[in-house]
Amino acid sequence: MENELINIKNNAVSLILDAKDPDELEHIKLQFLGKSGQLTLVIKRLPKINPEKRREVGILANEVKESIESAIIEQEVRIKNQELGKRIKKIDVTDPGIRPPLGHLHLITQAIWEITSIFEKIGFGRVRYPEVEWDWYPFGALNFSENHPARDDWETFFIDAPPHPKYGPMLLTPHTSNGQIREMEKGKLPIKMLNIARCYRRQSDVSHTPMFHQFEGLAVNTSLSISNLKGVLEYFVKTYFGEERKSRIRPYHFEFTEPSFEVDVTCGVCLGRGCKLCKEGWLELGGAGMVHPQVLRNCKIDPEKHNGFAFGWGVERVLMMKEGIEIDDLRLLYSNKLEFLEQF
Amino acid sequence: MQIKIVDSWLREFLETKASASEIARQLSLTSVSVGQTEPARYASAGVAGGKAGDDYTYDIEVTTNRPDLMSVAGIAKEATASLSGNGIAAKYIPPKTPKVAEGDISFPIEIKNDPKLVNRIMAVVLEVNIGKSPKEIANRLELSGIRSLNNLVDVTNYVMREIGHPAHVFDYDLLNTKEMIIRGSKKGEIITTLDGKEYRLLGGDIVADNGEGEIIDLLGIMGTANSVVNEKTKRILFFLDNNNPDRIRQTSMSLGIRTEAAIVNEKGVDPEFMELALKRGIELYQQIAQGKVVSKILDVYPNKPKTQTVKVSLEKINKIIGVGINPNIATEILQKLGFKVSAHLGFFKVEVPSERINDIKIEEDIIEEIARIYGYHRIPSIIPSFLSDKTIPYANNFYWEDRIKSALKYWGYTEVYTYSLVSEDLFDGPINNAIKLKNPLTSDMVYLRNTLVPSLLEVAENNKAKEIIKIFELANTYHKSQKARSTSHSTVSPSTVSSGRRTRSDRIGSGQNLPKEKLTLAGLIKKTGVSFFEVKGLIEALFDDLEIKNYKVKNRVEGGAEISIENENVGYIEILNSNLIDFEINFEILLKNATNKKVYKPLAKFPAVFEDITFVLDEAVSTQDVIEEISLQSFLIREVKLKDQFENARTFHIIYQAEDRNLTSKEVSEIREQVISAISSKFNARVK
Repeated sequence: MENELINIKNNAVSLILDAKDPDELEHIKLQFLGKSGQLTLVIKRLPKINPEKRREVGILANEVKESIESAIIEQEVRIKNQELGKRIKKIDVTDPGIRPPLGHLHLITQAIWEITSIFEKIGFGRVRYPEVEWDWYPFGALNFSENHPARDDWETFFIDAPPHPKYGPMLLTPHTSNGQIREMEKGKLPIKMLNIARCYRRQSDVSHTPMFHQFEGLAVNTSLSISNLKGVLEYFVKTYFGEERKSRIRPYHFEFTEPSFEVDVTCGVCLGRGCKLCKEGWLELGGAGMVHPQVLRNCKIDPEKHNGFAFGWGVERVLMMKEGIEIDDLRLLYSNKLEFLEQF
Repeated sequence: MQIKIVDSWLREFLETKASASEIARQLSLTSVSVGQTEPARYASAGVAGGKAGDDYTYDIEVTTNRPDLMSVAGIAKEATASLSGNGIAAKYIPPKTPKVAEGDISFPIEIKNDPKLVNRIMAVVLEVNIGKSPKEIANRLELSGIRSLNNLVDVTNYVMREIGHPAHVFDYDLLNTKEMIIRGSKKGEIITTLDGKEYRLLGGDIVADNGEGEIIDLLGIMGTANSVVNEKTKRILFFLDNNNPDRIRQTSMSLGIRTEAAIVNEKGVDPEFMELALKRGIELYQQIAQGKVVSKILDVYPNKPKTQTVKVSLEKINKIIGVGINPNIATEILQKLGFKVSAHLGFFKVEVPSERINDIKIEEDIIEEIARIYGYHRIPSIIPSFLSDKTIPYANNFYWEDRIKSALKYWGYTEVYTYSLVSEDLFDGPINNAIKLKNPLTSDMVYLRNTLVPSLLEVAENNKAKEIIKIFELANTYHKSQKARSTSHSTVSPSTVSSGRRTRSDRIGSGQNLPKEKLTLAGLIKKTGVSFFEVKGLIEALFDDLEIKNYKVKNRVEGGAEISIENENVGYIEILNSNLIDFEINFEILLKNATNKKVYKPLAKFPAVFEDITFVLDEAVSTQDVIEEISLQSFLIREVKLKDQFENARTFHIIYQAEDRNLTSKEVSEIREQVISAISSKFNARVK
């Protein structure tokens, strides 16, 4: 009986290896493993043999069965691969693929994501505050004098609505600095805030759109310094623009910071040496400064105990300053020409 | 404020070996921004002399807090501090007040000043010969961007640029008055300025009146035609006035007269400059116009600036700058900038020079002076580490916004950003409900939009050439808030008001609220024969991704569909025509229902039984109703789906499953019979 089993195995394996297609393989499977297949019939006889030998033969019969089964599976794979190979040779791989759908996110969204993730890593959490504001938030509380030019009709959009008895006229916020006041008046200290929002100013030309975006950073704690502000600026510049770009701060004047700075970044083309594009090697990024003590007081924060720094820059501006995106007219961003949007 | 400063002129007050570009660089880094220094070029062909390259001009942007830098002398003083603070030898040579012999007669005009309008007036009468200015003076003015006219006018401009205080010259004989009254103008008064233009005054402008109601000067801004010097002028009134800056700005802006005098005066100039400026002017008239002083010098000075002292500790200086500053260096910096400093026990008592008293008021102002000259580049960069370990919820609103935008992108939609401001045409509903701008820039941006869809339609319209458009926008829409309901609630606790906090009670108290800004998601498909179900499918997929299950889509009266979550309306799908479908969703309600929480259901231990039943149904019957009715028939029905529909037949795929046993065919067939009878009777249907 052992010989019989070994013969069956040899026959089966050699037939399997010769099989050319799945049908033939199925036929061989039936011939040996089917209900009245050769191996099946032998196994059915097992109970009749000597009990002492039965166990040994039983093990052998099982081994034979497993060998045949695995030979069939292997041959199946081999046949399939051969068929696939034949098919592959017939296709033109230069034909276009069948793509999943793919749209585009607006450049501003892409920039906002990048900016947010850069600042989140050093603890600045994103917030959002009103775009339609009372004068107090973007002007009054920020120490702007009563007749500051920014409060003029020809610079800021005003809403046709009665003024608030305490907070003044209703307007469209011209910068994200209203977020400083909104954040501080909550009374939760310390603060590390990133406010990104739509802003509005009454101007329209190649480098200005009436609506634009700013991002505003604010940190308030017990002992912050110009050194800390520089640390954050430099971190942003290197992360966003690249390790090879440098930043510097220069004196400037803003109502709501003291001292106030203008932040410059080296030109991405000449890296600070000076070229036709940038002239002096540096490009202006935007304003920054140490929060003015009166602004803190306006938010019920004691400037003797706490101080802070803030910065507010244009999303469009940093986008333009990034190497590679040279958009000659900022208004293109909001023209919504799909031909333009689909480039990004 | 922009100002052009001539290098050779600057060096009359600044002794240094530093090159023009070095001076420019140091000023930019420590004081005011200097654009490129340029070799001098003479703008007007009428002026002879000076090859290009002989001289330089600095193009300087002076910040509004520093009107004291609107002069050659001011820049020289600042540059001295700036250069020497950075190790470059420099010395300031202050302009000397010339000795002037006054005339014999007393000042011939009685001036009635209003101290609310004018802080100081200085004036003198001279005999002069009118003519051209010498080349050196004319060239410097031209290089400074000021047109050279004649020696009489040129002196006023030369003095203004050199010393920093504006000046005016009248023809004394044309003036012909014994009296000059300084007053606010009346509304509607008409003047003709010396350039021949006529203006109707708005009232409150600072003017000089000759006592007979005739205006003879628009102070601080521009002279008038009736007293202007001309080729026949023999005697002049040289006149310096220091005015209320707010009045000057109001007049200058509303009349649109932006002379350099106005731009400087509206920022507030130091009246202490006036004596120097006047005497320097007299000296120049003597030198270039054969000037002879006729009268005594008049000085009306009601508002002398008060001296101002600021005290600041070294500790605070070091804390804010972030590095330790040597107190001797700090003292030296302040002294070079014109401050008087006394240091004692770690404190500095700093007396502010008169030209800076409007700018330097608090400790931080002094710290800025020290820090900027010390050099911002010398301060190390250290990221503050506090709050870096703050816990922030992962799935906040921004997370969902980003996730939904990504999903739409990968489902083939392109994001647009359109203006929040729209024209009347793009506003939805009665225009009286709109939030309107008081001062729009253009007629297509007047109202804050209350829906995004019209803006998206405009985008589709502007991209007509594209056959297929799939776009979306996620942005605020703006809605007028409800007015306070009744005045009986209008009492507000004083603490709430003074805290500046926008609390609920505060809002009711004020009777006014800011508009509601509602984050809104809208999208649009333009495609020939676009199917409603392509848009509905998008919303279903979106809701699925946000784990929102309990939503309903219903027919909308206007066509299309209405979407609700838990009976709260969340948005709509609108079929505009066979090629255009849009949708709009209230993003806030969406976020309220969105979740990342996943619930585990044990995997089924017993197999499900599937079957399809086809009903012939009237087209008025909604599929959703049939599905709900089938599902109601047995708790063993796990799921019902529409599998197929053809003409009036709809095939439903039903899954039966029990959690605790195999279902027998008998059980299934009983449920099936129940389903068939229920649907047949409820919807007047039959099985096909």
